[in-house]
Amino acid sequence: MELPLTKLRPGETAVIISTNSPPLNPHKHHHRIRSTTAGSAKIGRHYNFHKRLEDMGLTPGTQIKVVRSAPFHGPLELHVRGSRLALGRGMAERILVRVER
Amino acid sequence: MTKKQITIALAGNANVGKSVIFNHLTGMHQHIGNWPGKTVEKAEGTLKFEDYTIDIIDLPGIYSLSTFSIEELITREYIAKEKPDLVINVIDASVLERNLFFTLQLVELETPIIIALNQMDMAKKKGIEINEIKLEARLGIPVIPTIAPSQEGIHDLLKAAVDVVKKRLPTTTAIRYGEEIENRIQKLEEFVQRFELLYPSRWVAIKLLEGDKQIEEMMEKVGRKALSLAKKLREEIENIHGHSSSTVVTSERYEVAGNIAREVQRIVPPKTPQLRNRLHALTTHRIAGYPIMAAMVLLIFFAIFSFGDYTSGLINDLFLSFEPFFKSVCGGGVLGELLWGGVAEGLIAGITIVLPYLLPFYLALHLLEDSGYLSRIAFLMDNLMHKIGLHGKAFIPMMLGFGCNVSACLGCRILETERERLIAIFVVTLVPCAATTVIVLGLVGAHVGFQWALLLYLVNFLVIFALGRIAFKSLPGEPTGLIMEMHDYRVPHMETVTKQTWFMLKEFVKMAFPLIIVGSFVVKLIQVVNLLEPIADFLSPITVVWMGLPAITGIALIFGILRKELALVMLATLLGTADLSQAPGFGPVQMIVFALVAMLYIPCISTIAVLARELGWRKAWIITIFEVVFAIVMGGLAYRLLIFANIWP
Repeated sequence: MELPLTKLRPGETAVIISTNSPPLNPHKHHHRIRSTTAGSAKIGRHYNFHKRLEDMGLTPGTQIKVVRSAPFHGPLELHVRGSRLALGRGMAERILVRVER
Repeated sequence: MTKKQITIALAGNANVGKSVIFNHLTGMHQHIGNWPGKTVEKAEGTLKFEDYTIDIIDLPGIYSLSTFSIEELITREYIAKEKPDLVINVIDASVLERNLFFTLQLVELETPIIIALNQMDMAKKKGIEINEIKLEARLGIPVIPTIAPSQEGIHDLLKAAVDVVKKRLPTTTAIRYGEEIENRIQKLEEFVQRFELLYPSRWVAIKLLEGDKQIEEMMEKVGRKALSLAKKLREEIENIHGHSSSTVVTSERYEVAGNIAREVQRIVPPKTPQLRNRLHALTTHRIAGYPIMAAMVLLIFFAIFSFGDYTSGLINDLFLSFEPFFKSVCGGGVLGELLWGGVAEGLIAGITIVLPYLLPFYLALHLLEDSGYLSRIAFLMDNLMHKIGLHGKAFIPMMLGFGCNVSACLGCRILETERERLIAIFVVTLVPCAATTVIVLGLVGAHVGFQWALLLYLVNFLVIFALGRIAFKSLPGEPTGLIMEMHDYRVPHMETVTKQTWFMLKEFVKMAFPLIIVGSFVVKLIQVVNLLEPIADFLSPITVVWMGLPAITGIALIFGILRKELALVMLATLLGTADLSQAPGFGPVQMIVFALVAMLYIPCISTIAVLARELGWRKAWIITIFEVVFAIVMGGLAYRLLIFANIWP
């Protein structure tokens, strides 16, 4: 089953498919990140957000576990590559994962 | 021929104990400054070892060598341009895989390197056992296990470092990627080799395949042709793997890091849940986390203020007792007045107002950061801060702003990108500090009514919210979400924390005090040469006509630039009465307008000094002038609104 990371329940483990999928429901943070024009601008705004996720170890194929999420649509706590990460929801919504249910 | 003067840089992820090692190495021989033109701290120190003089540079804690943050850029430029004799890569043994990902990137920069395998005790407690000999063999780099707080392994580390520099060990072979990538790296490397490059050619080739903006700009100047080749190769990789070329390179690098970690470590997680994990669960709990956080923040606030208030009063009394003596030496005339009122009082203001609050603040900030609680607060507050375009980490400086804008602005350094820092600092200067609270409560709260004081705060928060959002929307650049490591809780290393506090205070005094003294001298000069009244008259179109205030309030507001609470003190003096409610022409409406303007109109002179330091004079002036104009506009509007409402006929 393929889902955005934010749809995982606390305690569930999944594998990352991609980190730049468009969000399912329009959310206030996204239009800005997505408002890049074609061509070279793709590397630019898009690049940083994306690169940052990957540099922190969230690359396709990586196993991640959602430990908990902060209330009021706050960030997620993830276990990834033996470390504990906090990830803002806006970013998490763009990560597509595969989960066995 | 050996070189007797060597330079060693410490590099590694954030929170791996780098600064503790730095402190053990350099002792009191250190200096905290800024990287030229950047708001990133640069800690340097020296030590003697055998017959070597060793300069140590503590590079910022980072996770990668991309261009995400200023820190990452500084680090890679430093290593490439300054070419330190050796890099000591400090890694956290309890989070090996993530740390090795960074190590591999340092290796690719082809700098001489050794590894301090730090926090071995933490790793052991987590049930992680690492075979450092295997790790050494696997990486081809000397690995020295260390436990920084108890100085274990520090001597060995130095010895190994000097050894490597002495023998000029060849730099280790870089990691090899999968065939599809490796072939293309080599092809591109061959091509870029012919150009004059600042960085190693293989590294440039890899970065071009990753689509690194800054390296592309560099190639644009020295060898444009490489860009089209890189583009072609990237597209080939994307066609093979179905992911962006940058993704593929990063994934493979992590793959290698993961494989090495798995080969050299054995993990037997302890059966019983550990205290630090329970603490983590409790402090990030969706319900319990908030009251705990509120209690902690209040406690810190209370501690800072009670310490600051007490010490401030004490020092102030002490200094003021010098006044008769001082004047008897310099004479009570104009000169004495200028020297005492301008120079000495400026100095006293700096010492009594800023330092007593800044000292406990720095201590608290370092303790919070070092223990790991800061990242939990950021986790809990992320969503709220998003409303003004910042993320969770900005909550701490915001809170501190209620105490003192100066420390709050300096606290904004915990944010990663320049854009975030700018927004956060701007927002922070709008937060009512303790001195502003004195004005609001002492004037409006005491004479008009507490609910009106609360209303003023509400207006202030709305202003923060609105202006924060506008800044967020209008500033160029990419908004960043929260992504941070929450490292395990640990007991902060007190020696390191106190030293960091001490050196940062020193740095602050050097930077801000000259400005504070000059500022107060100028204001005093204006007073001595009897220019206050002409200035009050000059300002009267704004104060009297637009805001409906008595003309002398202009003078009070000018004094408020030095220290905000002086605005209130001067107001009482100028109106000729301590009981402000009896002053003619200064009713509730004027009080509210005056307090509102005082809340918004200008950061005090110390804050301006910090703004200039953190953002440069240009931005400091823009923010200052904007806030003055904005406050005046708000004041006039409030005046008209209150007159229209006709509450106090």
